[in-house]
Amino acid sequence: MEYSDFECPFCKRFHETMNQVMDEYGKDGEVAWVFRQFPLEQLHPVKAMAEAVASECAAEIGGNDAFWQFSDRLFELTLSNNRTDVATVIPKIVDEIGLDRGAFQECVNSGRYDDDINDDIENAFTTGGRGTPWSVVIGPDGTTYPLNGAQPYAAVKQIIDLALSKK
Amino acid sequence: MIKEILKIFRNVRYILLSSGIALVVFALAVLIPNASLLAQIIPDLSISLVVKMNLVFSLFGAIQTNFTILSASYTIAIAVLFGINISLFVYYVRNQRTGVTKINGAAGIGGLVSGIFGIGCAACGTFILTWFLGLIGAASLVAFLPLGGEEFGILGVILLIVSIRMVTKKITDPQTCSV
Repeated sequence: MEYSDFECPFCKRFHETMNQVMDEYGKDGEVAWVFRQFPLEQLHPVKAMAEAVASECAAEIGGNDAFWQFSDRLFELTLSNNRTDVATVIPKIVDEIGLDRGAFQECVNSGRYDDDINDDIENAFTTGGRGTPWSVVIGPDGTTYPLNGAQPYAAVKQIIDLALSKK
Repeated sequence: MIKEILKIFRNVRYILLSSGIALVVFALAVLIPNASLLAQIIPDLSISLVVKMNLVFSLFGAIQTNFTILSASYTIAIAVLFGINISLFVYYVRNQRTGVTKINGAAGIGGLVSGIFGIGCAACGTFILTWFLGLIGAASLVAFLPLGGEEFGILGVILLIVSIRMVTKKITDPQTCSV
């Protein structure tokens, strides 16, 4: 379970690592990647939250696949550290992945995901997160392993293998 | 300053001391963000020593993935300079048989503490300064720093260089009674 901020350059880096994890472990269903929102308002005001809302709206309109397509593309295009031109980048991705612009805009304007995102933020703090990316690897037996920061693939793999070995 | 340091490091014991301290400081800097993970895994007797060692070594790769080029550079610099600083203190105390002045000690420790504050991911709030400011309810102050807190790492390097300069000066000063 990863808590992430779309404006965090280390989350951008870790997103690639997690895609690598899913290439190796996701096909056989050994690992499921749960993405939770953790926009850091004090470091990336307005934009991180806007991007979190946009990704939730992509999921509402286009389903799970649209969420991942949107996230992958946003991490590709973001300049990080609150430098992303969200007014241009978000509509561009919405068009690229074929979402209904009107429905998307209605969703963004409604504010209906604000509470969910705030719940994710609260949950990140509750689980021990103090920055992004913050991850918790949960083994099949329920054992949890906290992982702080954009750790290299080798370290993430070690923890996943350890978690999987405890069946 | 360089000449004095090279002279002292002709003795291999000081090279070993500096290297050892530098490695410990570097390891702490890189591994501290995952202290809770290590505290969970290391005492776990059901996990083999090989798995534990592999995990610890793999976490060192975070110097590439979880640091900016600037923060990785000053983290390595702080570790090396702190190692040199301690060796010079030891040399000075052993050879001069007098105490190190308070100001020398303060610069050295100040350099390390300041450096520690700057360690971590400055962009994403996982570095120690943010945690410390969070404790006193002032985490948002980081957003006002031009380098997002990495200033403390740079300050740490400067303080350690000042401390090394002061110790080498004391080492080369002749011991005389002033008028």
